[in-house]
Amino acid sequence: MSVFSVFSQERLITRQGYVAFYSTTPVEDIKAGNNQVLSIVDLTTGEIAISILMKSFAFEKALMQEHFNENYVESNKYPKAGFSGKIINLDDILSGEVSIAEIKGELTIKDVTKPMIIESKVTKENDQLILQGKFMVTVADFNIKIPAIVRRNIAKEVEVSFRFIHQPYK
Amino acid sequence: MKKVIYTSGIIILIGVLTVIIVSVKLYNKPHTDVLASKPDYEVSAKEIINDFSQNEAEANKKYLDQIVQIEGQIKDINTTDGNTVITLSSESSTKNIICTMEPSENKKTFGLATGQKITIKGICTGFLFDVIIVRAVIVN
Repeated sequence: MSVFSVFSQERLITRQGYVAFYSTTPVEDIKAGNNQVLSIVDLTTGEIAISILMKSFAFEKALMQEHFNENYVESNKYPKAGFSGKIINLDDILSGEVSIAEIKGELTIKDVTKPMIIESKVTKENDQLILQGKFMVTVADFNIKIPAIVRRNIAKEVEVSFRFIHQPYK
Repeated sequence: MKKVIYTSGIIILIGVLTVIIVSVKLYNKPHTDVLASKPDYEVSAKEIINDFSQNEAEANKKYLDQIVQIEGQIKDINTTDGNTVITLSSESSTKNIICTMEPSENKKTFGLATGQKITIKGICTGFLFDVIIVRAVIVN
């Protein structure tokens, strides 16, 4: 708690944040994770900025990873996805009154930007700020086209989970 | 007539079997074996960081999806969820190279210490604050 009143430590960062997504259908479950996600939180304003490299998602099957990069997210053309937003109940979080942050912002995948409200569990440990949670993303919202032949293998909505252990910016 | 049906039956069966085998093989296609592959580029930590800092779009064209061998100094080693991540630094920059190691490399990373010189080979996936490498293995 006391740490958060020190001005010089209001900006927190992680360069190794974790983001995973999970698609489940009766035919197949697909999971991929990325542990090199960049996230910065400013605790004076509650602003949060996240940047992700699509090519860093690791799949169990090489073929899935190939399809994901080449056909679905076209990672050569759109190498990054991002989120920028603001913790809207920052005061309640900082005072320790609530432990669920309401983050209002915009998610950008393939240059398509959609407004989102994401709930995140907040844990403050020493000088760390941990944000973790999950939310659903509708694949079609982001110009991701799934060919008819694999439509039964890939969910229309995928679950995105995240865990960011932010540390004071050094 | 009977013989014709018999032969065509066998041909169809072979055809179907081939399709199944090829599909299964394709579905289970292994990931690139970084350890056994020759690097597309051999660079110093400083060089690759400079390339990305100066012109990210050009560097993306050059390095994305390529196997890059990088020599640098270990700034940090940590393990989360069974993944070892080695951060390489270059003396002249605040930017680093973040390498997620292959799980098979975990044992080899035990003996490493920060400050040590190391050569790592892996697949470059791009640039955030830092150059990002995945599926990395230790060369030297």
